[in-house]
Amino acid sequence: MKLARLILGGILIAAIAAGVTGWILASQNAYSHLMGAGYDSTSTMLPLGDVAGQSASTPPADVANPASSDPNAVAEGHKLFISMNCAGCHGYDAKGGMGPDLTDTYWRYGGTPTQIYQSIASGRPKGMPSWGKKLPARSIWQLTAYIQSLGGSFPANAYQAAVQGDLADKGQNKGASDQQ
Amino acid sequence: MRSLFGAVGLAFAWASSAIAQAPPPAPSAHTSYSGASATFDGAGKRGEWTSQARDYANTRYSPLNQINAGNVATLKIAWTFSDGTQYGHEGAPLVVGDTMYLVTPYPNIAYALDLTKPSPSIKWSFQPNPSPTAIGKACCDAVLRGWAYADGKLIYNLLDAHTVAVDAQTGKELWRAKMDDVDKGVTMTMSAFAADGKVFVGNSGGEMGVNGWLAALDIGTGKELWRAHAVGPDKDVLIGQGFNPFYPWMKGKDLGVTTWPADMWHTGAGSSWGFISYDPEQKLVFYGTSNPGPRVPAQRPGDNLWTSAMFARDPATGQAKWAYQFTPHDQWDYDGINEAVLLDMPIDGKMQKTLVHFDRNTYAYTIDRTNGEVLVAKNFAYQNWSTGFDMKTGRPIVDPALEPKPGVKLDRVCPPDIGQKDWEPPAFSPNTGLLYVGVFNICMGLTDHEVSYIPGTPYDGMEMQRFSVDGKDGNWGGFIAWDPAHGKKVWEIPEKFMVMSGAIATAGDLVFYGTTDGWFRAADAWTGKILWSQKLGSGVIGQPITYTGPDGRQYVAVATGVGGAAMVQKSRAGFPPRGNTLYVFSLNGDAIQAPESPSSGSTAPATATPQ
Repeated sequence: MKLARLILGGILIAAIAAGVTGWILASQNAYSHLMGAGYDSTSTMLPLGDVAGQSASTPPADVANPASSDPNAVAEGHKLFISMNCAGCHGYDAKGGMGPDLTDTYWRYGGTPTQIYQSIASGRPKGMPSWGKKLPARSIWQLTAYIQSLGGSFPANAYQAAVQGDLADKGQNKGASDQQ
Repeated sequence: MRSLFGAVGLAFAWASSAIAQAPPPAPSAHTSYSGASATFDGAGKRGEWTSQARDYANTRYSPLNQINAGNVATLKIAWTFSDGTQYGHEGAPLVVGDTMYLVTPYPNIAYALDLTKPSPSIKWSFQPNPSPTAIGKACCDAVLRGWAYADGKLIYNLLDAHTVAVDAQTGKELWRAKMDDVDKGVTMTMSAFAADGKVFVGNSGGEMGVNGWLAALDIGTGKELWRAHAVGPDKDVLIGQGFNPFYPWMKGKDLGVTTWPADMWHTGAGSSWGFISYDPEQKLVFYGTSNPGPRVPAQRPGDNLWTSAMFARDPATGQAKWAYQFTPHDQWDYDGINEAVLLDMPIDGKMQKTLVHFDRNTYAYTIDRTNGEVLVAKNFAYQNWSTGFDMKTGRPIVDPALEPKPGVKLDRVCPPDIGQKDWEPPAFSPNTGLLYVGVFNICMGLTDHEVSYIPGTPYDGMEMQRFSVDGKDGNWGGFIAWDPAHGKKVWEIPEKFMVMSGAIATAGDLVFYGTTDGWFRAADAWTGKILWSQKLGSGVIGQPITYTGPDGRQYVAVATGVGGAAMVQKSRAGFPPRGNTLYVFSLNGDAIQAPESPSSGSTAPATATPQ
């Protein structure tokens, strides 16, 4: 209740403004690069929520994590996973608790990088808070990078096949854990 | 009860086998271990089960004895009912007259089942549609621990922090009260409790930095009559002139503020999610409060009153008469929410009005319920966090080696956060004078992490691994009989998996309980000998009941549907899947049967069932 006690202090508020702008710039650069590299420009377009901003709300869903080129992204994402209380719901080992297991290849809302990003940014109906207005895009991509590092996510180009059953054919479905 | 046959029997074709009439055992030559007794005030009629604990004193004792030690071996499934939900089923069904009422965990669907017809026959169902956001705010599964029946209404809590009242005849919603804000992490999972013309409800969210409270609502309208917080200044806690705790360290102004670092009490939890009991003679309600928030003790030096404590309050005003904190500065999430069973018993030759409380911290307390003095405090299972109990101050003595420090792993703290007994309620038999309690036999490895308060997220910080007290292949549970006057365990049934079901005791000198791996058992109340067991479709964390049907038969009912804190065992081999089904048992499985010709029309079609 006391703002002073919130970790979401002024530093983050400042970072959000910078981050939104940064995301638009960074992602537009990233997309122009990716599209030029042969990505199917007709693939599903995915709104990325408030953080992405209106003009950049429909990048391709199968974009890779822009943070993947950052060698510190996984470590920074892990720090955020604990400091933002993600671990309180998903477990310090990310194997689930109040919230779902993030390591087991079972994804209610898709397990490609952009789908994970969207789940974090927009929130999900069963209690997942929306972090898009609380964290800069860079931080959300770092969190996404950490989750990708746990081994349960799907590659960016698996978006069209991100329905659980399709992935089972590729031997990636190791079985769903208990969903709390 | 046989006279009922004439009245209602014409409408049905009866099972051909007669009700087994093995006589109850002759009055036992045994004498009560403790001499304890209860009033059983607030119980419904002899064959009914009209509240979670059956009576105000929370005994879960039934005077029925048609099923007894001599014939329980012939107990079989009479009928079952799938309620269509998956989260852990922790509540007891109620039986009022010829109707059984069942409420599910999230999405909190209510059902009325007509017991005069071949069961299950749905009379009505009610879907309150609570917000799904609440699922992810509930620390320990989207559970509900039952509901209350009063004045022709069923009153219960919705996971999204509302309380709702439904007409017992029609299933229509009568009122709905918003009690708190689910977006801030407040859920409601406790059973509402009706007494003194009011209904009492409290909040959950001890892991979410909520501000804990208990409220009294008007049964007719849902209007809030009072709300008592567990943390904060005396005016919020409803501490006034009449407050007189027994121990000096709990006396003083605004201790709900001054036993915390500055401003930390706002998010200090002390929620109320266990069972409530009521002493109509003294006009007091008794209930416990949860752990303090955050769960990391290094961030909140002080006793953290009034968390992990018990209050005795005037139900008319909410004003506290006394309080007692079980675990000052609770460092392991032991809570104090477990129930108080109100019993009178001789202690050291003197009759005492007591309450008996099995705390998650593993002390079993027998407390003078008129003033909060601890009369007996003994361990009912294994623990290692406390080296003893100071009867003079009423405080447990803490082993400093097992106090968590952020970033430092403690390899073995016993019990873990969920205690050696969680919320699962015990039963009391006035014949044996014993309490019957489902227990755990577990420890934890613990690493604390400092946490920040972010609304709607866990204010938690405990990283844990749970394991058996007895090592890799050790048992995780048991079922014990406890003498509350002498603080002694009389017998124990070891169980491979945690026992997290409620217990009941009957005049047939039987006790019933279930295990989290799905065994439902009847044991001899005197000896603990298992007389009957049946494996059910999922684990049992529900509360059994027993009742007399309109056909005069005694039935025993329990809901299966594992979940809740029992899920700490989910990676163990043999742990069952989720899935909620009510099982009803009778001697030989006899029950009201359908007429031979389905065209006779005596089975009315059910009203629309929920998806």
